[in-house]
Amino acid sequence: MSVSLFVAVFVVAYSGMLACCLGMERHWKKRASRLPTSWRRYCRPLGVLLLALAAYLAMQLWPLAMAWVAWLGLISLSGLGLLFLLPYAPRLALSLPVLAVVLLVIGAIWV
Amino acid sequence: MAKQASVTQSMSGLHTWAGLIVGWLLFAIFLTGTLAVFDKELNWWMQPELHDTGLDQVSAVRVAESWLRERNPDASAWNIGLPTERGPSLSVSSGEQRRGQRTQLDADSGEVVVPRETLGGNFFFHFHYTLHMPRSIGIWVVGFAAMAMLVAIISGVIIHKKIFKDFFTFRPAKGQRSWLDGHNASAVLLLPFHLMITYTGLAIFFLIYMPAATDVLYGGDREALFSELRPGNEQQVERAGRAGEGGRAPRAEVPAAQMLPLEQFIGRGEAYYGEDMLGSLSVSNPDRANARVEVRPVMGTRLELTKGESLVFNAITGEVVGAPQPTRTTLLTQKVMAGLHFAQFGGYAMRWIYFLCGLISCAMIASGLVLYTVKRRRQVKSDTRWLRQAEWLNVAVIGGLMFACTALLWGNRMLPANMAERELWELRVFFGGWLLALVHARLRAPLRAWAEQLTLIALLLLAMPVLDMLLAPKALDGLRLSVDASAAAMGLILGWAAWRVVCQPQAVKKTAGETKKIRTSRTGVTS
Repeated sequence: MSVSLFVAVFVVAYSGMLACCLGMERHWKKRASRLPTSWRRYCRPLGVLLLALAAYLAMQLWPLAMAWVAWLGLISLSGLGLLFLLPYAPRLALSLPVLAVVLLVIGAIWV
Repeated sequence: MAKQASVTQSMSGLHTWAGLIVGWLLFAIFLTGTLAVFDKELNWWMQPELHDTGLDQVSAVRVAESWLRERNPDASAWNIGLPTERGPSLSVSSGEQRRGQRTQLDADSGEVVVPRETLGGNFFFHFHYTLHMPRSIGIWVVGFAAMAMLVAIISGVIIHKKIFKDFFTFRPAKGQRSWLDGHNASAVLLLPFHLMITYTGLAIFFLIYMPAATDVLYGGDREALFSELRPGNEQQVERAGRAGEGGRAPRAEVPAAQMLPLEQFIGRGEAYYGEDMLGSLSVSNPDRANARVEVRPVMGTRLELTKGESLVFNAITGEVVGAPQPTRTTLLTQKVMAGLHFAQFGGYAMRWIYFLCGLISCAMIASGLVLYTVKRRRQVKSDTRWLRQAEWLNVAVIGGLMFACTALLWGNRMLPANMAERELWELRVFFGGWLLALVHARLRAPLRAWAEQLTLIALLLLAMPVLDMLLAPKALDGLRLSVDASAAAMGLILGWAAWRVVCQPQAVKKTAGETKKIRTSRTGVTS
């Protein structure tokens, strides 16, 4: 079982939850008010798309039935992770997807 | 409008009482269940005499076969527990598998290894569904708690006022607000898990909890039910496989015959179940004309719980004489639910997902219990006597059980390896530790009790890698180091929690001030 693919599923699920979160008015105002307001309405569709992508990636890692179980577990856990990161380390919470992508790319080149 | 409010209120009351009364039980069930996700790994950790020789299953079978042929050529059956990813040990036994004492072998030298007696990770697994009570009583108590958990989950969803608005909201360092946020968030975000694990837990023992249908349709005869549920009669095939074609003929009457080398059956079993998916291999009537080889997979080849499934070969010719039949849909439904609960599928990644989700369930239950006391403290009318009971019981159960589990792991390393009745002593360490924590929680002021117990547990967990290096340095391998590292990680989290409790002078003063206010207002009323 590929570790990097597992990390990728988690990161994509996390990014999806982050996008869904920013799509909510309260969180948008608090975390992303510097960005153009019109962007906000793209957040939720993007989040749903990313969550779907996470499901697709999970299916590469597990057989179909197991993939759904893992997907539900991972989006729950990543959502909770996001929830606790937001108040304690808001910058990290927002930049985690980018950081993770960079790490994955570095990892891919390394291997 | 008025009716709406009363529904919410009554649900709120239901949630509080369903949650509080069984909350302590639920915490114990969930914590041990979470630890039981890694039961085999803990088994391995708790027997440091065994070491991973890294031998593949084919060679391991060769070692085991020659050992068994040399010591027990006339046994009615040979059983070989194969080294697997989760427990790289090789064990053998002869005779009926259930009764036979398992002997551990060193896979390299083929010599007998005598590991320490231990409760192992199995203890957490059994405690999870029996609470260490007599099995039938324990299952009922746990079932009652699980029903109350379902009630608490559903009523909790009903009384949650802003389930979507507060979806990602957590406001730390705000006393009751933060506790409520944390409780809500861990409950809402993991709602699928909470519901699934509670419901499937109940579904495992459906025959015990809901026997009415079996009683009416089968006169209470479970065997009759099961033979209809399994039309392929897997059991009969198995039984025939075990007894051999000659039925139950005495061993001596069956002529001797040359068996195929047992190691061949590993490859053939793997072809059926997948690579690294075999858990054990057994032979009935070894070296006789009616010899049968049975290979069993480790659980988790699919979602369905496949306990007891096997593939049976004729040991002389090598042909397949019994393969598992596809499960009938009705039974499959139940077995998939049981499989979802047992979490044996999907490898280590899935195991970690379940473990983390389980930990968050524990945190959710614990935060609910604490929230009750935090809330009560602020209510002027609250009965302080009951509040005081809830406060110390919280520490005694949440802190106490975590301490007891940690003590059990420490006890495993500290008690002499060759001690008589060692398992009993480990049990004494576990319950003794819990009792001490209980007394401590009763005697100390709540916040102080929390701080002291959390600090102690955190230190003990953090020191586990050190303990392991000092007391069992030779046994350190990847698996055991992972157990140590995970323990230390949990130590860090609990240490952080302890630090939060200690370093909150403001919050402490605030609550102390409030209780004072409560007291004065009370005395004011009475005078």
